[in-house]
Amino acid sequence: MAVSVDQFILDPREFRLLDGLRLNPRKPAPGRVRGERLTKRKGISIEFADYRDYTEGDDLRHLDWNILARLGIATIKTYQDEEDLAVHLLLDATPSMDFGTPSKFVQARRLGCALAYVAVCGTDAVYPLALGCREEPKRAHRGRSGYRRLAAWAAGVSPEGKAGVAESLRLFASGNARPGLAVILSDGLDPKVTAALRTVAGRGHEIAFVQVLSNEELDPDLEGDLRLVDSEDDAIIEITAHGQTLREYRKRLEKHCTALAVECRRLGGRFLQVRNTDSLPTVMADGFKREGWVTAWTS
Amino acid sequence: MDFVNPGALWWLLPLGGGILLLYLLKMRRKDLKVPATFLWPPFRSEVRANALFQRLRFNWLLVLQLLAILLILFALAYPQVRREGLAGEVTVFVVDTSASMSAVDASGSRFEAAKRFLHQALGNARPGDRVSVIEAGPIPRVVAPLSGDMGKIRAALRDLQATDCEADIGEALRLGAALVGDLESARIVLLSDGAFPEIEDFSPGKAKVVFQRIGVSGENAGIIALGAAETPSGKQVYCGVTNFGTKYVTGTLSLHAGGRLFDSRKVEIPPGETLGVNVAAPRGAKIVEAFLETDDLLAADNYAAAVTDPSASIRVLLVSSGNIFLERALALDPRVTLDRAASLPETERAGSLGQSAYDIVVFDGVAEKRVKARGVLSFGVAGSPSPVTVSGSVKNPLFIDADAEHALMRFVDMRDTYVAESEQASPKPQGVVLAESSAGPLIVAADTDKRQIYVSFKLLESDFPLQVGFPIFIANVLDYLAGEGSADVFSIPTGKPFSVPAPPGVDSARLKTPDGTTLKLEAAGGRFVAHNLLKAGRYELRVGDRKQTLYASLLNERESNVQPVAELRLGGGEVSATSAGFRLADFWRPLLLLALLVLGVEWWVFARRS
Repeated sequence: MAVSVDQFILDPREFRLLDGLRLNPRKPAPGRVRGERLTKRKGISIEFADYRDYTEGDDLRHLDWNILARLGIATIKTYQDEEDLAVHLLLDATPSMDFGTPSKFVQARRLGCALAYVAVCGTDAVYPLALGCREEPKRAHRGRSGYRRLAAWAAGVSPEGKAGVAESLRLFASGNARPGLAVILSDGLDPKVTAALRTVAGRGHEIAFVQVLSNEELDPDLEGDLRLVDSEDDAIIEITAHGQTLREYRKRLEKHCTALAVECRRLGGRFLQVRNTDSLPTVMADGFKREGWVTAWTS
Repeated sequence: MDFVNPGALWWLLPLGGGILLLYLLKMRRKDLKVPATFLWPPFRSEVRANALFQRLRFNWLLVLQLLAILLILFALAYPQVRREGLAGEVTVFVVDTSASMSAVDASGSRFEAAKRFLHQALGNARPGDRVSVIEAGPIPRVVAPLSGDMGKIRAALRDLQATDCEADIGEALRLGAALVGDLESARIVLLSDGAFPEIEDFSPGKAKVVFQRIGVSGENAGIIALGAAETPSGKQVYCGVTNFGTKYVTGTLSLHAGGRLFDSRKVEIPPGETLGVNVAAPRGAKIVEAFLETDDLLAADNYAAAVTDPSASIRVLLVSSGNIFLERALALDPRVTLDRAASLPETERAGSLGQSAYDIVVFDGVAEKRVKARGVLSFGVAGSPSPVTVSGSVKNPLFIDADAEHALMRFVDMRDTYVAESEQASPKPQGVVLAESSAGPLIVAADTDKRQIYVSFKLLESDFPLQVGFPIFIANVLDYLAGEGSADVFSIPTGKPFSVPAPPGVDSARLKTPDGTTLKLEAAGGRFVAHNLLKAGRYELRVGDRKQTLYASLLNERESNVQPVAELRLGGGEVSATSAGFRLADFWRPLLLLALLVLGVEWWVFARRS
């Protein structure tokens, strides 16, 4: 589906809803350029970090004169550094996302753009990546002006990726992406996705998994003798859809989603399940804000 | 286990094959693309098929359907299992009460053993079973009609008694078939030793015949012949005793005349042999009785009696080209010894040498001739000695009147008799008209040196033989022609009815049986008829002041041969004897219920899956 860049994926009312918010990762991540995120590294922010002995060449502006006067020991005050946050926007573009009305992909793209807008407005660096598609790593997008390019990128992605989600996540983890917040927008319908998440987390990324499922997946209305064809690998399974079959399906789906959520939290990340029909204000209010994914801008 | 309808099992092949074929058919499924297939359970319950073919896979529905069809076909095959007792769903017990059933080789008599079987069967009967009991005696009768009230049937069995007679088993079986022959699951159980001739003209219908053999041994000897004959050396009594067993029989044969012993001798009879004894008859003896004292199975055939007085029997010669009605009517009288001839023998013509061998000569459609016999009865064709003069013939003469007071015409009603053609006769002076038609005399009697009765029409040209009055007329004729010489001593076979004319004004008679019981007989149709001569021995019949003595004897070779048979021949087929008291019980109902249950489970499984 072609989307005009002018539309920016989100409408003005939604932009207003997102203004004043910033991403709230659970842990600090090392930045590449100066930003507004405190890191563990010592820097020049106003946040006091520690004392250390003066060594030749230190900036005398950070010498603690009170200690020198009282004890006669030259001591230097150190401060935490402030750097930018790397936000990896991982949008699932596999064919399984092209289900539902609106499709899960459309919903994932909207939510991804919303989070990306929040990130770029907070001077974070956003690295977009379409899972399932083999594409070159994109340069970071920063600032409000960067969102325009992000929206253009998102509009150009379609759910026609050949690779699976798990495979794409492993590929991402094996790349040179700097550790940061990995925002994954996917349906997670891959039996190996939890293992792939462990790989991603192992590379120092904080997982923020937004699982988008359609109403038809959560409550399928199938009947009769069917031959189900997997949208990604064309695997075939023959079933007779009746009460028992649907009960077993729901049970399996719930088990899979629960395992996914538990794995995300175990890895120190976040997990949120949304439906394809949920509106952005609803997701922001009942999901991102309530779960602490985003916070209001205070500084 | 037996099957009444085993052919139904063949349906298992096409029906079972059909069900399997349906499961071999492949389902053409609708393709549907889904995000992921790994979440879907591979549950398949194919109930429809629209393509060929697939590998047969295990399916509980298939198993249940095959089981249900198997059960239904087994039920249709009408399986039967052996159960203790003889009663079944609908059962008619035919109890042989013939003389041979009195043989004592089965812890008591065979008849008692049969009754024990019967009681046991009634005790084993299930609720809903219906049972009937038929007595197969000389005159078969339904002792207990088809009923489920076993107490009532047991009560009715008390009247069941063994006889010393030959039984009409065929008629009893036909009676049973008439009762239950149209019922699919019915059985006719014959409790008998099988000592009776082959029964033809019998079909059990839908019922099944079970032969419960009773008795084990054939060790018996019996008197099979007793009589007297005139010989050049005087009247001789002959007696025949046969050993039907496989061992030598020793005993004492005693002969009595008029109640007095006149001969007694030890006898030893080899197996299968007949011993003949000839003894000179005592002078003036009217009745001879034979007693065989030996240790054998049947007592009834160890006694026999025969009349030796010629006046005690009526020897009748029937000159006819064949008339079954007349023969039967004449044979009804136990005194009658009937011979048949197409024409009058020369030795019987008047004027020939010697005495007449007959008391009465009956001309049936043959011109009457002069005979030596003292009585003549002629039908349809008068001869020169007839008491009428014939002037021609007349068609359809109408009955006008009869002399109901005459001994010949008592209780004979000819008002509805149709006569197609009769002779137009006029009586001679000695002739007395007893019945008259519009064309002249119908029946004329004359009593001169001999007694003559002339009937102006041929029997077969009228419906007189079919009228109720015909056998009465013949009985009257025999009494009239035999004259006053008719004796008061009779020898008859056991089980045969005996009748005597009822004198005017006498309504009842008394019959004293061999065991001392006195029975009262009521007159019917001008005669006293005794049906109760079921035991061998001496009976006394008192009619008014007159006393008549009846000697009933078995004298039956078939009944004396008490060897039980293994197989019966009934209506052209063979029925094997059962070795033990069992019944074939149906169990198609439980099978059908089980089939319904399986179908119910099958429906439940199907509904649960869908």
